[in-house]
Amino acid sequence: MSFEPKIVGFLCNWCSYTGADLAGTSRIHYAPNVRIIRVMCSARIDPTFVLKALHDGADGVLICGCHPGDCHYTEGNYKTMRRFPLLKRMLADFGIEDERVRLEWVSASEGQRFADLVDDMTERIRALGPSRVQADLATDMAER
Amino acid sequence: MSAESPRIGVYVCNCGTNIAKVVDCDAVADFASQLPGVVVARSYKYMCSNPGQEMIVQDIQEQQLDRVVVASCSPRMHEPTFRRALQSASLNPYFLEMANIREQVSWVHDDGAIATDKAKALVRAAVNRVTRHEPLESMSVDMCPDTLIIGGGIAGMTAALEFADAGKRAYLVEKLDHLGGNVARVDLTAPYMDAAGDIVADRVRRVIESPNIEVFLNSEVRSLDGFVGNFTAMIHTSEGPAGNGHDVKVRVGNVVVCTGYKEFDATRVTHYGYGKLPNVITSFEFEHMLHEGRIEMKDGRPPQYVAIIHCVGSRSPEFHTYCSRVCCMTALKYAREVKSALPTSYVSDIYIDMHAFGKGMEDFYRRSSEIKTLFLMYKRGDHPVIRKADPGDDCDMLIEVHEQLSGETIEIPADLVILMVGMEAREDSEEVAHLVNISRDKDGWFIESHPKLDPVATTTEGIYIAGACAAPKDIPDTVAQARAAAGRILSKIARGKIEIEAVYAEVDEERCSGCRICNDLCPYVAIEYDPETKRSHVISALCKACGACVAACPSGAIKARHFTDAQIFAEIEGVLA
Repeated sequence: MSFEPKIVGFLCNWCSYTGADLAGTSRIHYAPNVRIIRVMCSARIDPTFVLKALHDGADGVLICGCHPGDCHYTEGNYKTMRRFPLLKRMLADFGIEDERVRLEWVSASEGQRFADLVDDMTERIRALGPSRVQADLATDMAER
Repeated sequence: MSAESPRIGVYVCNCGTNIAKVVDCDAVADFASQLPGVVVARSYKYMCSNPGQEMIVQDIQEQQLDRVVVASCSPRMHEPTFRRALQSASLNPYFLEMANIREQVSWVHDDGAIATDKAKALVRAAVNRVTRHEPLESMSVDMCPDTLIIGGGIAGMTAALEFADAGKRAYLVEKLDHLGGNVARVDLTAPYMDAAGDIVADRVRRVIESPNIEVFLNSEVRSLDGFVGNFTAMIHTSEGPAGNGHDVKVRVGNVVVCTGYKEFDATRVTHYGYGKLPNVITSFEFEHMLHEGRIEMKDGRPPQYVAIIHCVGSRSPEFHTYCSRVCCMTALKYAREVKSALPTSYVSDIYIDMHAFGKGMEDFYRRSSEIKTLFLMYKRGDHPVIRKADPGDDCDMLIEVHEQLSGETIEIPADLVILMVGMEAREDSEEVAHLVNISRDKDGWFIESHPKLDPVATTTEGIYIAGACAAPKDIPDTVAQARAAAGRILSKIARGKIEIEAVYAEVDEERCSGCRICNDLCPYVAIEYDPETKRSHVISALCKACGACVAACPSGAIKARHFTDAQIFAEIEGVLA
């Protein structure tokens, strides 16, 4: 059986979660690999959420917020935008491939875009293979 | 912190067949019943129905449930419904969590086994999360009884009059130097041929005479701060004694956005020769002629042949894919007005489909076809071609149409061509959306809270939309929406107080190091530093719960109520287990 990636999606309530709902109401089908967790704003996404998801077995993490300039809280997504590279740098140090964690903007009217993103990310991670985090953790524990 | 021994009820909604046709709801309920803390798990046809809600209430009371998970549609749809159900069973409404197994599962996946697995994962996450929920008390604040209305067209004036009639104050802000909006540019209206001028003039008079309505002409809203019940708006008006403009600050409880539409710019369509052929005009230019009482060509002669072309800018792959709703019937109105002013003229009506929906419209269509209008059907994407007639012809232009019903290519004469230009979102719609913090769809129209069940509210509490700023609309629908928005607001004003969501951030002052990083992060200046205690605290009424400060606090001292780290961690564990 082919590898089915597990992707955790953190979506802001106002734009991206609504966009995902729109994909639903418009019956736009997409890969079933994503599990969505709603937060009020992408700026609420603590780096530890991403680490926790990877630690607990996610093969990918998708963060979605409002497009720059469209944040419900005026500027939350700009904070996310600035925090994200710091997180990515740390993830790179951990040996986590770049494609596993993505930040994308999805507006409330972009149901199709959300579906396309999920499909694209699922394909890319499927090609990349399972995350090594859990296996590495198990090895670490065994060595201890 | 998890509850000692939670007693959770899980309710899996079938949503008729919307969920059940893909997800095995009974299997999801069985799965849920095995989860830790779950006392009862049921699958039911419609959880949002009265019997569905009563089932929850009864279980809470009989089985002493202290937490509830509803797996159904998006929480954006029915979270308030189920929170009320909990409340009616005397359970704190924040002990509810929803798993979105319709929009995120059954409507987007078709493999039943995979969809059922995903639904189980979402339910497990919700059960995990709800275990960590805490009771929250919502705040009650005063509702300012005054309302701000942006846009002085038919929608804005109608809403303002509703408030005035109820004895409430309304501030009506109009960008132009007069009220009336686009309706004031129209002559007669379909299907009953009432004069738009009469509809508008009466309202303008009543608005101006009303002691409860303050009208700001040549004005715009520059800023809007605060939250539902307590907004402060800055209105910039260029009227006034000094003549150089000044700002007026008003306090309002709610806002109705009635900014309307703009007509499609016909110069964007090059193939009809608008702007080059002098006798090709837009529908609004024709309205102007009707207003002036003369239907004439550029050279002043009355036209012998009048052609009306539908769907200019609408239902077109290059411009707007949507239907602008009012143009078909307006075109028929023109046919009648031309025939009545120039009885010997010939009118051809060149359309894609004739959209005659709405009260009285089909009859209007039938009556209009009896006045010898030549109807020619063209195919979308295969538009008619207009060319200048030869000097010997008895007409100014010739129009070639690949007529669909006859299957023939037909050439008809025309002296005057009226382009039925569609409606589009105004160019300042983005600015307005930012001002009042609402969203726009791909075409620039404002997005309603729910397209069917909540069409005048938006996702921002206290901000309402009415009329053609939300989508192309005719006058009756616009008026209905304006009154609906006013009604919604008046019912809130009548209560005097407004409940504010109990979701906001709070600082654990024991853990706060006083670094003040959060102070500058907050877009609402809701975090205050106390130099005496050297600690920061959140002014809860100002906090809008984005959580930006929570993620940034180096001491982990700020808690996002209802979106705590523990709750989100529990959810992550749930979806991945």
